[in-house]
Amino acid sequence: MAWLSLILAGLCEMLGVLMINRVHKHRNWQSLALLVMAFGASFLFLALAMETLPMSTAYAIWTGIGASGGAIMGMFLYGEPKDLKRIVFIGMILGAAVGLKLIS
Amino acid sequence: MNWLKVFIAALFEVLWVIGLKHADSFWAWGGTVVSIVVSFYLLIMAGKRLPVGTVYAVFVGLGTAGTVIAGILFFEEPFKWSKIMLIGFLLAGIIGLKLVTEDKEEGVEA
Repeated sequence: MAWLSLILAGLCEMLGVLMINRVHKHRNWQSLALLVMAFGASFLFLALAMETLPMSTAYAIWTGIGASGGAIMGMFLYGEPKDLKRIVFIGMILGAAVGLKLIS
Repeated sequence: MNWLKVFIAALFEVLWVIGLKHADSFWAWGGTVVSIVVSFYLLIMAGKRLPVGTVYAVFVGLGTAGTVIAGILFFEEPFKWSKIMLIGFLLAGIIGLKLVTEDKEEGVEA
């Protein structure tokens, strides 16, 4: 159950990142509400997962799914640049972030 | 200007991560909530001119590095060389991203 909440938390975060894109495309209250709901749900599921899983593991996996998923979806759904250099640099940042969260 | 927004957003992220962990009074919790709002506001605004996926990765990366450094400096978390190495790796990625990302400032639309 904890792992399921953790994956849901990551997916909601990814959705939140996509909603940031949406807010700029469709400037209305629905977009903003979706953004707040996505990040809100993400934190809720993360907190739920942290009740049983170690905080560092949960945090690292949440970041990994959310930020890399957000970057990949942004490239496919919102036409963000997907050159190889960018993908390598994003990979470096997220790899280091996940590593830091795991050892902290 | 837009990158500056991302960096300040990450600074506020560090504040609210610390707040979520250590806040124990009305004012500390108030400050935490304000930090969450400010950091997300700046993040969203930066995403107007820069690719959101890139911005979010930098935001998360800087926030994580800042939180780890703050933990070592102020909250007696153990210093490890592996942490410093990962932070260096992370910063290299951020500098790289900044170099390859076009900043669509207002008025200079292509």
